Amino acid sequence: MKAKQKLLEDQERSRPASNVAQAAARVIGVSKRFGKTSVLENISFDVAEGEALVLLGASGSGKTTILRIIAGLEQPYTGKIVLHGKDVTELPARERGVGVIFQSYALFPKMTVEKNIGYGLRIRKRRRKEIRATVNELLSLVQLEEHRKKYPAQLSGGQQQRVAIARTLAYKPEVLLFDEPFGALDTQTRVHLRREIRALLRTVNVPAIFITHDQEEALELGDRVAVINVGHIEQIGTPYEIYTHPATEYVATFLGAANIMQAIVGKGYLEIGSSRIPIEKQEFPEGECVKIVFRPEDVSLSKGDFQQSGQSRISAAIVDEISFVGAYERVRLRLEQVAAEDCGVREEPFYLTTDTPERETTQQIVATRSKREATATKLKIGERVVVSLTSFTVLPFTEPKDTKSQTQG
Amino acid sequence: MRHVRGFDVARPLSIGMLMLMMLPLVFLPLASIFIFGTSNGLDKFWGALTAPEAVFALELSMATSFWATVFNVLFGLFAAYVLSRYNFWGRNALIVTISLPTAIPTAVAGFALLLLWGPYGTLGRLLAPHGIQVMFTAGAIILANIFVTFPLAFGVIKPVFDTMSRSLEEASATIGATRWQTFWHVTLPSLRGAIVSGALLTFARAVGEFGSTILVSGNLAGRTQTAPLYIFAKFNEGQIEAANAIAIVLALFSFLIFSVLFFARDWLDVD
Repeated sequence: MKAKQKLLEDQERSRPASNVAQAAARVIGVSKRFGKTSVLENISFDVAEGEALVLLGASGSGKTTILRIIAGLEQPYTGKIVLHGKDVTELPARERGVGVIFQSYALFPKMTVEKNIGYGLRIRKRRRKEIRATVNELLSLVQLEEHRKKYPAQLSGGQQQRVAIARTLAYKPEVLLFDEPFGALDTQTRVHLRREIRALLRTVNVPAIFITHDQEEALELGDRVAVINVGHIEQIGTPYEIYTHPATEYVATFLGAANIMQAIVGKGYLEIGSSRIPIEKQEFPEGECVKIVFRPEDVSLSKGDFQQSGQSRISAAIVDEISFVGAYERVRLRLEQVAAEDCGVREEPFYLTTDTPERETTQQIVATRSKREATATKLKIGERVVVSLTSFTVLPFTEPKDTKSQTQG
Repeated sequence: MRHVRGFDVARPLSIGMLMLMMLPLVFLPLASIFIFGTSNGLDKFWGALTAPEAVFALELSMATSFWATVFNVLFGLFAAYVLSRYNFWGRNALIVTISLPTAIPTAVAGFALLLLWGPYGTLGRLLAPHGIQVMFTAGAIILANIFVTFPLAFGVIKPVFDTMSRSLEEASATIGATRWQTFWHVTLPSLRGAIVSGALLTFARAVGEFGSTILVSGNLAGRTQTAPLYIFAKFNEGQIEAANAIAIVLALFSFLIFSVLFFARDWLDVD
């Protein structure tokens, strides 16, 4: 119960309350079922004018369905969609004025670039002069003037995407929806286009909702990111918030690598084995089992018991594996101490295990070190080091919705 | 060892054999039409071709085939749209039924139409008192043509519908187009190639139709006699030259349609 409360509070906190009045797009309590399977449960969020919100989730999490419901291509089971103060839930797609950039771009293959861009105005029966002016303006905005007479098949993926964006901007959409916009592109183009789109969105000041399964993309593109897991929102917040203060274990692990350890709450500290690390806020009652979550880059390794200020020493550890991954070095460590009283739900007590007790009782964690750090203090496999944390997040031991099965609630 | 010398005996041998087999089966019959048709001089050939009955037969064939094509292309478009967009109980049965007419012997098709529309037929009996006679008219020929070429345009158009990305139509809808605008501006242009080749196939097949036409038309010279019927009638009368002249026209005509289908394939598919 407490855990659930905290989760809700966290979501409440991360939602900017001041934006409600000026929200460009609001999704209110939307749920969706296909037959008997529920794919979305009570989804609510707002997007402010000019804001970019990223819906981040694994495939099958329901993020595409949210997008299609906003666009009017799918009907919600319950809930409302409000665009600029107008309830559009009952309106068909063509009356919503939403711009969708499909994953495949969906450019009309038998129309030239300029015909594609002018399509929205042509079917609105605008004057030819007006159409030509708007198309010219958009062609220069997306820098495709010299390709105006080409057909979509003659363009590169990135160019096609720019045509798709220009095509929706032509009729001044209420909100732009991007469905996995970079899925079909190679990594280099992807990074380049991300920046381009970000800059473009700033100039046109149209609210945008992106969906992606790529966490790096989400962090870079979004003013805010909503992490979606099996049909519900786990957390909404700025990229910094969700990365450094994940509200749930799912968010922590989905947004890059995370180490998770058990600890017991004390008065003003957390107990991990025989070591105590101080906490600023007493969020949990004494004696309760909690999880602490920390990123590999939050781990600081030192030889001997020397410890820098502002760090919390948790344990000594043995270096198991060192791998060089380009920009940084990844170290796999085996901790010597774990929680003295194992919270006792998942693993069996070590003295009952039959095979190699060390393996069962010691916990492995992963740390990353910058190149500079790695060259300054070289580590060897089998070496004993002291592990400290520069920052960490405390989560309740059980979560209302965890993807992994647990033996006890 | 053969490949070392760069010469494979099997290659020219098999190609030669293929040609030899096709000679009596295809090449010689076709060639003989042209040889006999013009053997008495071009004047006679031209005379046979411009005989009023011959001209009428050709015109009737073209006109009836044209209207049957128009109907079947429109119908094929509609049927393909319904059958690829909507899933319903009995859909596959309907697809099979549409394709059935090609498998039915044309004489049977003509006979079936007679039984339905003939003066004593199920429907014809009701129409006869009002002075409406469907059989033994140009209308009957169109009906027969529609029946035997029924699935041709549908068969070409449906696969294109099936493979067409739904997101194109969805994109058009989100941009603000009505269903009709989407169909006209987005769906139809992508179907252009399929429509043209479906129409050509249907037309070519309809022009040559004999079995059903001879039953439903009554084969009245100058009134309901199509070009293939004319060939048959003149041959029976022993006027080989008259029959041959029309035969040449029909043969050339099918060559033409076939070449369009074959060589314009690229144009039909893409811009």
